[in-house]
Amino acid sequence: MEKTKVPSKVGLFIFDPGGGLARAIDLEAVLQKLTKAKNVARCEVIRDLWETNFHDSIKKDLAAGDINRILWVGRFSPDQEKKIQSELASEGLNPYLHEWCDLGEQGIGQNGGDGVDRGAETQKALILIQMALARTRLLEPLEPLSLPAVDAVLIVGAGVAGLHTATSFMDLGKRVYLIDKESGVGGKVASLSRLYPRICDPRCGLEYEIQKLKESDKVEVHTLSLIKSLAGSPGNFEVTIEKRPRYVNEERCNACGECMRACPIVIPEQSTPIPLFSTAPALQGAMNLLKSRKKAIHPATPMPYPSAFVIDRMHCPPECRECVKACPTQAVELEQSPSEAVFRVGTVILTTGWDPYPLSKVEEYGYGLYPNVISNLEMERLLENPPEFRELGFIQCAGSRDERHLNYCSSVCCSATLKQVRYLKEKAPDARCYIFYQDIRTPGFDEELYQQVKSLSDVIFIRGNPSTVKPEGDTGKLRIRAEDTLSGKEVSLSLDLLVLAGGMTPSDGSRDIAQLLNLPQNNFGFFESHLQCHPEESQRTGIYVGGACRGPMNVSQSIESSHRAAMEALAFLNETVLIEPTYPVVDVTKCDKCKRCMEDCPFTAFYFDANGFPAPDLAKCRQCGNCMGTCPIAAISLRHFTIKQTAARIQAIKASFIGKEEPVILAFLCKNDAYYAARSAADSGLPIPPNVFFIKVPCAGSVSNALVADAISFGIDGILIAGCVDGQCHYVKGNQLVKTRSGDLSDKLKKMMIEPERVRFENLEIRDSRRYVELVNSYIRELKAMGPNPFKV
Amino acid sequence: MTEKIPKSLEEIPAEVIETDLLIVGGGNAGCFAAIEAKTKNPSLRVTIMEKAHISRSGATAAGMDAINTYLRTDKGETPEGLVKWSRAQVGGGPIREDLALSNAKILNETVDMLEEWGLPFLKDEEGHKQLRGRFDVSIHGEQLKPIMAEKAMEMGAQVFNRVAATNLLMDGDRCVGAIGFGVRDGKLYVFRAKATIVSTGGACGIYKSPTTDYSSAHHQTWMSPFNVGTGYAMGIRGGAEMSSLEQRWVATRTKDFSGPVDTLSVAFGCMIINAKGEKVMQVRYADKGGDKAARFYRLTAPMTEWLEGRGPTYIDTTVLTPEAAHELKEDLLNERPSFVLFLASRGHDITKEPVEIYGSDPYIVGGHTGSGYWVDIKRMTTVSGLFAAGETAGGNPNKFVGGCGAEGRLAARGALEYLEKVKLPPLDTKQVEKEKERVFAPLLRGPEYDGVTGIEMEERMQRLMDEYAGGIHQFYRMNEERLDHALKNLKMLKDQTKYLYAKDLHGLMNVHEVIDRLDVAEVLVHHLKYRKETRWPGWQTRMDYPEIDPKLDCFVESSRDPKSGEIKMFTRPYEQIIPGDRTKP
Amino acid sequence: MPPKTDKEKCDSCKAEKETLCEQICPGDLMTLGEDKKAFCRMPRDCWDCMSCVKACPKSALETRMPYQLGYHVARLIPMMGTNTITWTCIDINGKVERFHYKNRGSDE
Repeated sequence: MEKTKVPSKVGLFIFDPGGGLARAIDLEAVLQKLTKAKNVARCEVIRDLWETNFHDSIKKDLAAGDINRILWVGRFSPDQEKKIQSELASEGLNPYLHEWCDLGEQGIGQNGGDGVDRGAETQKALILIQMALARTRLLEPLEPLSLPAVDAVLIVGAGVAGLHTATSFMDLGKRVYLIDKESGVGGKVASLSRLYPRICDPRCGLEYEIQKLKESDKVEVHTLSLIKSLAGSPGNFEVTIEKRPRYVNEERCNACGECMRACPIVIPEQSTPIPLFSTAPALQGAMNLLKSRKKAIHPATPMPYPSAFVIDRMHCPPECRECVKACPTQAVELEQSPSEAVFRVGTVILTTGWDPYPLSKVEEYGYGLYPNVISNLEMERLLENPPEFRELGFIQCAGSRDERHLNYCSSVCCSATLKQVRYLKEKAPDARCYIFYQDIRTPGFDEELYQQVKSLSDVIFIRGNPSTVKPEGDTGKLRIRAEDTLSGKEVSLSLDLLVLAGGMTPSDGSRDIAQLLNLPQNNFGFFESHLQCHPEESQRTGIYVGGACRGPMNVSQSIESSHRAAMEALAFLNETVLIEPTYPVVDVTKCDKCKRCMEDCPFTAFYFDANGFPAPDLAKCRQCGNCMGTCPIAAISLRHFTIKQTAARIQAIKASFIGKEEPVILAFLCKNDAYYAARSAADSGLPIPPNVFFIKVPCAGSVSNALVADAISFGIDGILIAGCVDGQCHYVKGNQLVKTRSGDLSDKLKKMMIEPERVRFENLEIRDSRRYVELVNSYIRELKAMGPNPFKV
Repeated sequence: MTEKIPKSLEEIPAEVIETDLLIVGGGNAGCFAAIEAKTKNPSLRVTIMEKAHISRSGATAAGMDAINTYLRTDKGETPEGLVKWSRAQVGGGPIREDLALSNAKILNETVDMLEEWGLPFLKDEEGHKQLRGRFDVSIHGEQLKPIMAEKAMEMGAQVFNRVAATNLLMDGDRCVGAIGFGVRDGKLYVFRAKATIVSTGGACGIYKSPTTDYSSAHHQTWMSPFNVGTGYAMGIRGGAEMSSLEQRWVATRTKDFSGPVDTLSVAFGCMIINAKGEKVMQVRYADKGGDKAARFYRLTAPMTEWLEGRGPTYIDTTVLTPEAAHELKEDLLNERPSFVLFLASRGHDITKEPVEIYGSDPYIVGGHTGSGYWVDIKRMTTVSGLFAAGETAGGNPNKFVGGCGAEGRLAARGALEYLEKVKLPPLDTKQVEKEKERVFAPLLRGPEYDGVTGIEMEERMQRLMDEYAGGIHQFYRMNEERLDHALKNLKMLKDQTKYLYAKDLHGLMNVHEVIDRLDVAEVLVHHLKYRKETRWPGWQTRMDYPEIDPKLDCFVESSRDPKSGEIKMFTRPYEQIIPGDRTKP
Repeated sequence: MPPKTDKEKCDSCKAEKETLCEQICPGDLMTLGEDKKAFCRMPRDCWDCMSCVKACPKSALETRMPYQLGYHVARLIPMMGTNTITWTCIDINGKVERFHYKNRGSDE
C-alpha cells in the first residue's frame, strides 16, 4: 500500500544560519554519515535560505527528477514553511513531500553548551535526522479533497436565540430553515413581562427580529414542526421534518379574528388549579389574570408569527364547524393531516431552549397545592396588571443549588426576581416584598439593579430559605416560617402571594433531540460541547448549539451565544467542504471489522461502507487519529502520519547510542498541550538530557499499542505518552483511551518479566515546561535503577 | 454466541452465489490460485470458500520457518535437479515427473512473490536467500498466512469465511461448483462456478495421534488437525480418481510434541543418535545414503531403534552453541511456537540434553508425498471442471509451501483456460435439496435423540485405523487380514453415520469432518491392500509383503462409483522424463 | 495447548458480533461462554497455533502446555509490533528467554 513506485530521492538541507548548530554538535561528522545514507540524493548545510543559487539548484534537481522530496533540518517559522511549500509546489513538488526536523525543540544546541556532552548531542542529532529521514522516505503526495456542500442551515427552536441566529445568517445571504414545535415563534422570552437591566418589553426586541425575517426571501419559517430524522454528513445533511397540522391555511388566513369570535370553546388553563380559597378578592383577581382566555382557534403562540391562526383540535366538539362558517377567506381546513418535509442543509443549529424546573417537586413550598404559590415565570404574567397584593414573598434558589433537585445555579433568577420587585414597586408602591435568599448573585452591571432594589422601601431581604409554607386557616393567606441566618432569629410571616424563583432545565425538546441525534449531554442534561474555547460546538461535527439549551443564561447571553453559534456554523456553509487530505484510511485487507474504531471515535464519525467495513465520514472526521491508536491490528493510518512512518521513526532510534547503561526514552507528545511544554522547555534554555526523543502526535489517543510494542522490542528503555489533563482533551477522550490501552500493554509487559513502568502516561499542560524536564529526569533516574531494557543490544 | 438451532429444513435459508472460479479452501494453494486468477484476468469473479478464516486457516496457521523448495540457480540448481532429488526422496517413485517439472519451473517466481509482498527472507552475506538445506531457504514466516490472505483480498477475491464445504455441485459428471454450510450463520451455501479448484489441504486425524489419550492434547499433531481431507472426500464421492493414497506421509517428529524436526536436523545439522550414543543414520543406513537417506528411512530409523531396545532416539542438539540454540528456537517460533513453550515446560536446555524424536501418526498430504487427486498437466482432475492444487493434488511429492503455491497458480491457469469454453447449466435444485438434507440432518434430530456424536465416531475410527491399518501404535505395520478387518468396520461406521447428531453448528462441522474422513479412510485402505509390497517402510509396511515388488513400479489408482459406492482399484504406468537412477538424487 | 482466559481482562470484545479470537481460530474453537468471557470450547482440539493470543487486544489469552505433556508452569508471550514480533518465554525454573524479529517487510 505504501510502496512508492518511484524510489525516494531525498534532498537533505540543514539550515544553520548563525552557525549555532555547528558549535553545538560535530556537524561535519553528521553530514558525512547522512550523505551516505540510503535514498539521500544530496545533503548540505545551508546558511542563507534565500540565496538564489540554492533555489535554482533545487528547482533544477526537481525538474530533472534528481530529488523528489525534501527534508529540512532546522528552525523554520510557520510562514517560512508555508512559503517554501508553495514556492516549490509551483515547481511541481507536492506540499506533503516536505519533512521538517527541528533539532532545537528536542534540546540540541539550546542551552548554550554548558555541561553538555558534545558527543552525545551529536549522536542524538544524527538519530533525530535519521528518524526524520525514515519518515521522509515514506511520504506520499496528497491533494486536498473538495466535497460538494449545501449552502443552507437548519435552526431548531425559534425563541430569542433561534431568531437571532436566523437573522445573522440573512445578512450573509444564506438560506435558512427555522423550525419550532409551537404554532408561533418567540419561545419563553415572549411570555416575559420585562427584561433586565433596562426593564424593557421583550416583545419589542423579538418583534424587531421577526420584522427582519419577514423581509427576507431566504428564510423559511416552519412552525408546529419537529425533526424526525437526520442523515448525511456535515455540509450535506438531509433533515426530515414532521409538521403537525395547523388546520388553517397559512396563505389564506389574514388574521381577521372572525373565527375566534365565533368559536364557542375556551380552552381551560391547565397550570393553576381551581382556587381552594376564594375569599381574598386580590387572589380572585390574580387567578383571573392567570386564567386563560384562549379559544380553541387562536392566533399563533407565543407570538403571532406566522400570522395564520391555529386550532387546538383536542378541545373541539366533533361536529362544530363555527370557525369554518365564520371565515371570510375559507382558510380553515379541518381535514389537514400531519406532513413531512425534507431539507438539504450544510449545518444544523440547535436553539431549543429551556423549561422551568417542575416546582411541585419542591414539596415543602406547596406549589401546585396552594393557588397563591406561583413560579417566577408565572409572576411575569401578573406584573403588567398586578392584583392588589400587600404582602408578597419571593423564595430564591427554590429547588436550585440543591442535591435533591437542581444541583447548580441558574444564574438568572436573582436578577430576574429583583427586576420583578422593582417593576412591581413602580406599579404597586405599597406592596411589601420579602426576598428569601441564600446568596444574591448579580454579576457585572446587574449590581446596579441590586442596589436600586435594596434602596426601595418595604423590600426586606431575609437570608435563609423558608422551612415551611402552610395555608392560614380560611384567610387564603400563607404562613411562612424561616430562619434569618444573619440575625439568628426565627421569622414568621403571613403572605398573600409566594413567588418561587425556580431554575432552568434543558427543555423537553432538547432532551428529545439529544436522543434522536445521539448528542452527548452533560450531567445536567444540557448539550455538551467539549471545549472551553468552542462552547457552541457539539461533539457532532456540523451540529451547533446556541442559547439556553447549552446552559442557564439570560437573554443578552442567549443572543451572544446565538451569534457565536452562527459564526462557528459558517465553516460548513459554502459551496464546498474542503477536506484536509490527512484523513484516516482503513486498510480493508487487514481490517477484521471489530469496530473498535467506530466505538472509540469521539465524534461518531465512522459508518459502515458498502462492504461492511468501517469508514470515516470525511466531513465529520476531525483527524485526531484516535481510530489509528485504537485499532488492535494497526490497520488504520492517518494519511501523512501513518503507522509505517511512525514505526520507521521509532526503529531509527539506536537505543544504546550513549552506552547500554544509559536509558533512552521515547516520548509521544500530544500536539495540543504536551508538545508545547517540551518545546518551550528547550527554547527557554532548560537543559534537556540527550536521553529523550519525542514524536509529536495529533492526540495522545492516536498512539497505537503496536508502536509502543515496537519501541520496547527495539530496546528503548522507557516510553512516555503525554496528553491533556482529564476533561481538557481537545478530542474529548483521547487521553483516557490511551491511558487504558497502555495500561493493558503494561500488564502484558509484567507477564513478559519486563517492568510495567517502562510504559507510562502523564498529563502535561501547555506551560508545563519545567515539569516536562523534571519528569524526564526523574524517569531517567528510575530507568537507570531498573537497568537496561532486556531487548536492548 | 447463542445460535438459533433450526427445527426443520424449511427454516434454513439458502444462499446461491454465482461466480466464475470457485476455490474451495483458502490456504496457501488457494490464495495463490486466487491471486493468479485475478492477476491474469482482473474482471473475473473469483470466490474463495473457507471453513475457517483465511487470515489464519490451514496448515500455515501459526506461520512457517522455511520455504523448502527454492532453486539457488546461482549454485547451479535446476528444476530437473529438484525433480531428481524429489524422486529419490520417495525411494525412486512413483512420482509424476511431468507435474514435478512444470511446478519446479515456476517455483522461484512464486517464492519471490512472497518476498515482494513483505515476507522476510533471511539473507546470507552476498544478499542471496539463505540456504539451510539444498533447496531450503529460511524465512521469518509468522505472518505468512496473513500476507497471502491480504494479497488475495487486495486482488479482489470474494471471500466467504466460516463456510464449510460439504460436496461438489455436479451437472452429470461435470463439476459446476460446490455446496457448503455456514458454520456461524447456519445457512446453506450453493456456489455455482464455471470452474472449481479444490485446495483443502491434506487429511489429518484419520489415524490416532500418539497423544490421543490425553484430554487436552488430542490434537498434538504435526499437521493441522483442522484439515480433515474434505477435498479428497468430495472428489471421492463425485467419482474422481485418487492416486497413491498408500504413499502416506509419516515422518520423524519430536516426541510427545509432534513438532518439526527438519529445522533441527537439516538446518542446524544435528544428527539422529540413539540411547547408546550411536549416530544411527551413519551406522545403520549408510547404504541408503546415511544422513541424506530418503525420508522414510529417517522415519523408520528411530522406530526401529526403539523396537530393538536401543531407544530412546534423539536429535543431538548438544552440539549446538547457545547462540545457535537460540536461533533454532527463533526459527521454530515461526512455525510451531508452542514447541518453545514445550521445552520450557520441561525446563529442557537443548544444549545440555538432546531432543527426543519418534514417528508421527500417518497423514495423507499430497504436498509431502504423492497422494491426492490424479490430475493432468493443467491440474484438472478426472472430473471435468474440477481442478486440484496443493496438498490436495497428488503426484508431486515434496512441494511444501513454495510448490503448493506454485501449483495453485498452475491450477488457476488451467481453470481460466477451461472456463472460457463453458457455460453454467441451470441450478439442479433437487441436488441442492438432497444435499441440504444430508448436511443438516444431524442437527435436526430433536432434543432427546439417542445417537452418536461426531467426536465418538472420530475416536472409534482413529482407533480402528491405528490398530488395523498401520498406525503409530503398531509401528505402522499392517497385513491383509488386518486391512480387511479395517475395511469391514469402516463400512459399519459409514453405515452408522445415520446416527450422528449435533447440538450446534460447531458440532455439525465435527460430524461432517468425521464423515469425510471415513470416505478417505475407506479408499486409503483399498490402496494399502492393493500395493502388496513394502516400497517405503514406515509409510507403508506390509508385514506379509516385506520386499519391493518390481511389478508394482507404477501408480496405484482408485475411483469410487458415485451411485453404487463400489471402489475400483487399478494402476497407471510410470513415465520417466528425467533420465538416471531414480533412487539417486 | 488450550488458551487460558484472564476473565478480568477479557471484555468479550465489547460484546460485538464475533470476538476477535472467535473470528480467527482456525478450528472454530474460541467462543463466548455463559459469563460472556472468551473460552476454548474443546481444549482437546486446540492446535496451539496461538492466533487467538496474538489477536486479543486486551492480552487476555495465554497458551499453556497441557499437564499431560509439560510441567507447571511455563509461559510464552507474544507481543505484536508494527512489523516485528517479540516473544518472551519463561520456563518452569523461571529462566527467561527473549526473541525479537521482523515478520513483515525487508530491511529498508
